[in-house]
Formats: sequence, C-alpha cells, structure tokens
Amino acid sequence: MSHGFTARGEIAVAGYAQSPVVRHADRPLGAIAIETALSAIADAGLAPEQIDGFVTGSLLPSAGGQSAVDGVSIVTANWMAEQLRINPRYCSGFQGYGQIPGAVMMAVNAVASGAADYVLFHRALHNPPGRYHENPMTEARGFAQWTAPQGFWGPLSTIALPYNEYLQRYGATRDAMATVVTEARANGARIPWSYWYERPITPADYLDARVISDPIGILDCDIPVDGVAAFVFTTAERARDLPNAPVYVAGYAQGSPSVPRLPSHWPLDDIMDAGFELATRLERHSGLSLGEIDLPQLYDGFSPFIYFWLEALGYCGVGEAHAFVQDGRIATDGGLPILSGGGALGNGRMHGVPQMLECYLQLAGRAGDRQLPSRTLGLACHSSPHFGGAVLYTNQEL
Amino acid sequence: MSERDDAPAKPRPVPDERSEGYWAAAAEHVLAVPRCSRCGGVSMPPGPVCPHCRSTEPDFQFVPVHGGGTIRSWTLVRDAFLPGFRDDVPYLLVDVALDEYPNVRLIGRLVDGPDAPLHLGDVVTVTFDDLDDDSAVPAFALAR
Repeated sequence: MSHGFTARGEIAVAGYAQSPVVRHADRPLGAIAIETALSAIADAGLAPEQIDGFVTGSLLPSAGGQSAVDGVSIVTANWMAEQLRINPRYCSGFQGYGQIPGAVMMAVNAVASGAADYVLFHRALHNPPGRYHENPMTEARGFAQWTAPQGFWGPLSTIALPYNEYLQRYGATRDAMATVVTEARANGARIPWSYWYERPITPADYLDARVISDPIGILDCDIPVDGVAAFVFTTAERARDLPNAPVYVAGYAQGSPSVPRLPSHWPLDDIMDAGFELATRLERHSGLSLGEIDLPQLYDGFSPFIYFWLEALGYCGVGEAHAFVQDGRIATDGGLPILSGGGALGNGRMHGVPQMLECYLQLAGRAGDRQLPSRTLGLACHSSPHFGGAVLYTNQEL
Repeated sequence: MSERDDAPAKPRPVPDERSEGYWAAAAEHVLAVPRCSRCGGVSMPPGPVCPHCRSTEPDFQFVPVHGGGTIRSWTLVRDAFLPGFRDDVPYLLVDVALDEYPNVRLIGRLVDGPDAPLHLGDVVTVTFDDLDDDSAVPAFALAR
C-alpha cells in the first residue's frame, strides 16, 4: 500500500522516563519535569547538551479557571529548555485537546525536517488544590456565556451527553462499562508508577460508585494527578546506534469536528464522523492496514471513549462496542489488548501518556513482567476522536 | 455583607457585541438564532466569522424561532461544578435540535423536574429561566 508519510519509519523513540503518578506531589511540577527529562535523556544514552529540540503540549485540562503558572501548574517546552540551560534549535508547543499525538507529530516533523536532531518530548500533568473542575464564576463571559448560565459546566456533562445518546440509541446499559473500567484498573494495578498500583476494582465497585452526571459516574473518569513523562525522538539511523531498541513512528492522524457547536458540546455523530475520517487518514498516511495493529492502545480518560474508538477504528460495528468488550474480548490475557497499559483510568490523568508509553515499552521489549509476546504494530490514541489523534509505532524497519 | 451562608449566585450571561442580540431577545422570552447577513446561514454561537460562508463581517441578525425541538440526549446533573447550582441538583440538561434549524443544537435545563421520563426524539418547547427583570436564560419544557 502506498503511504503519504515521507518520513515513515525514519524517526524513532530512543528512550523514556516516567515519574511516579501521585495525587498531589510534594514539590513543584517543574522539578519533577526536569528530573524526568534528565532521566529520559540518560535512558536514551545521550547527554543534555545533545538535545536541540523541545516539544510539549502544556494544557492544564481543568474547567476550574485556575491560572496556569509555568513550572508549577504547567511546564512548557520553553521553560524546560531554559531550566536545562539549553538554547534549542527547535522549541514548540501543541495547542488543542489531543495533546500527546499533536505534540508527537511536531516532534517527529522537527526531526524529519532536520529542524532538530534530538527532540525531548514531555508531558507534565498537574492536579491543582481544591475540586478539579469547580468554578466559582458568577459572570459568564466569552465561551462560558453559552453553557454556564444553564448549569452546563465541566467535561463530565460534556461526555455524559454523547454517552447517553449512545446508550439510548443502541439500547446499551451503563452496567456494560464495568468490563472496561475493571480491565483498565486490573492492568494499572500491575504498573508500579501508577496511582492505582495494586488497587484493582471489581464490577460491583464500579456499579456502586457515585454517579455524577448520568450516565457518567466517578469511576468513568480518570483521577487527577501530578505526573510527568518524557521521551526522546531522533532519526532511526541515530537511534540504531543508541542503547535501546528503536521504536519507529509509522504514521499518524488527527480528527477534528466538522460542525460548529456550542462550547463543550460533543454530539455523538460529530465524534464518530471525525473518528471514521481519522481511521481513513491513518491508513493513507502509514500505508498500513489498521487490521495489522496488534497493540491498539485506546484512550479512556472518560470510559465511553473506549466505545467510540473501538467503533471508529472498525474493531466492531457501530453500536456494538458495549457488547464487543464483554466475554474476555478486551482482556490483556487472550483478547485484544486495548488497555494493557492501564490507560488513564488505570494510571491517573496522564492524558495519552499511558497509551504512548505502553506502545513504546511493549515494542521496545522493555515491559518487564508485563511483556506481551511478539507485538509489532502499536497504536496510541488520545482524546475524543473528533478532537484527538493517534500515532502508529512499530519495532520493524519499514 | 450578610452573615448568612447564602448559595452563591448563578453565573449570569455577560453579552458581548456579537451576542447581545441573543440575550436581548431572551430577556423578552424570545429565542432568536444568529443568521449571517451575507449567506443567510444560521449557526450557534455567533463568532467573529460565519462558519458557512467564512465572511469576516457576518453582521449576524437574530431571527426569532418558535422554540420547538426534539431531544437528542440528556444528562441528570447530580453534582454541580458551578457553586450557584448547588441547591438545584439534581437537574436535567437536554440536548435539543431545533425544528426550524436541525443543525443548531442547544443545551438547556429541562424544567419538568429531575424525574421526567425522557426518550430520544421527545418534543420540547423553549421556556425561560428569569434571572431578574433584565436577564433570562433559555430552557426547555416537554411539549404536552
């Protein structure tokens, strides 16, 4: 199959680091970010002075209106470079929701174009004090005037509307999602850096948990955390001379909504239309069939995203994901390992990091006692399909 | 300042130069949607550019609609992230496609109470929550 990605297989991940994922860190996010960045650089067999590119997406994804303070509640690429006292040739940040694929594309393109030889990619997530999405506003200005006056606020109601649309349209029940959430938590419980390490849950735990905005309950949401991950990108040629097995980028794609809507209004059809287009773009860009993917890491910051990604990528028919996930079909042991890395539900609110990290660890053969046999093509998804993206990784030379 | 622990005020819409026609109509209990003066396309919310024809001078006119629509989804909010709604939970929000412009979807409170039995496609009509004499917020009621 022809492919549109002129640098297909020519850019690789050469190393990584992941901080512990905690509810509230005892030091500023920037300190953890610097430490994690230096660990990733060392893991790749490099010295800090060799890094000449920095990329991140620095969004603080809270509806609480907290001010973003660089180095404390967010960590930008510029801040990272300054603190490391590096004057990089390339330094940039992704704007948008699908921060991980969005910023990975920038890192990949920077290396592919020669804008930088070694790009440090990082993602730093912060959990501010207080209730994450609570906003004391009494005046609704700008975008907020279209949602806050009627009490529509925060991502739980945003995702509750298309999720309920799904349940009603396809006759699905809320109970079916217990399989998804328990699978994420079972896998997260095996990951030492996860907030939920050694804390799996049962279907009864899920069904008994507090419902906040029907049908979204507290266990349908990832838990806000402090945590940082970093990866080093370079050319495949350079990566082959470095200590770790290279994991190559085989393609990527983004989705975006085609219809203007009220802020934070995500109708089901908008999500799915963009999701199907994203899947088509991904095949065209990579020249690979999605059927070849043996490590699809789907995004689960809110549990219904799993249904949307499964259907958009063609793992089951439209309206069938709630049945598809049952009976062991998404079990890491013997099924389609869509949540083998624990996802966001099993790690904490690390955005698309768990998906990207699982692709890297499994394909580099660095997953330790969680290593799955003979995986060759991973997909790391992030966000809703209509505001998100996905990156294909492989350990095969293309 | 009062010593009483009153519930905080609900967020009050602050019109801007693009939205003042919408909120002025709502204050009169009229639902009016923005129509581009260049191409006639209707979209919500009114932004700096018409999403239909890309005009950067859409000069949106606010066209009254009768306010009927159908329910495309709903959620029962049990825990408010806006403190002003703390005493209102649980309340229903409905996602409504307007009859006259089905591509325009609005989200409003459903005034029939939290236990109203709902189905996809149920018919609603617009109503208004008065904040005071000068301000009202569109909401929906099940059609009888």
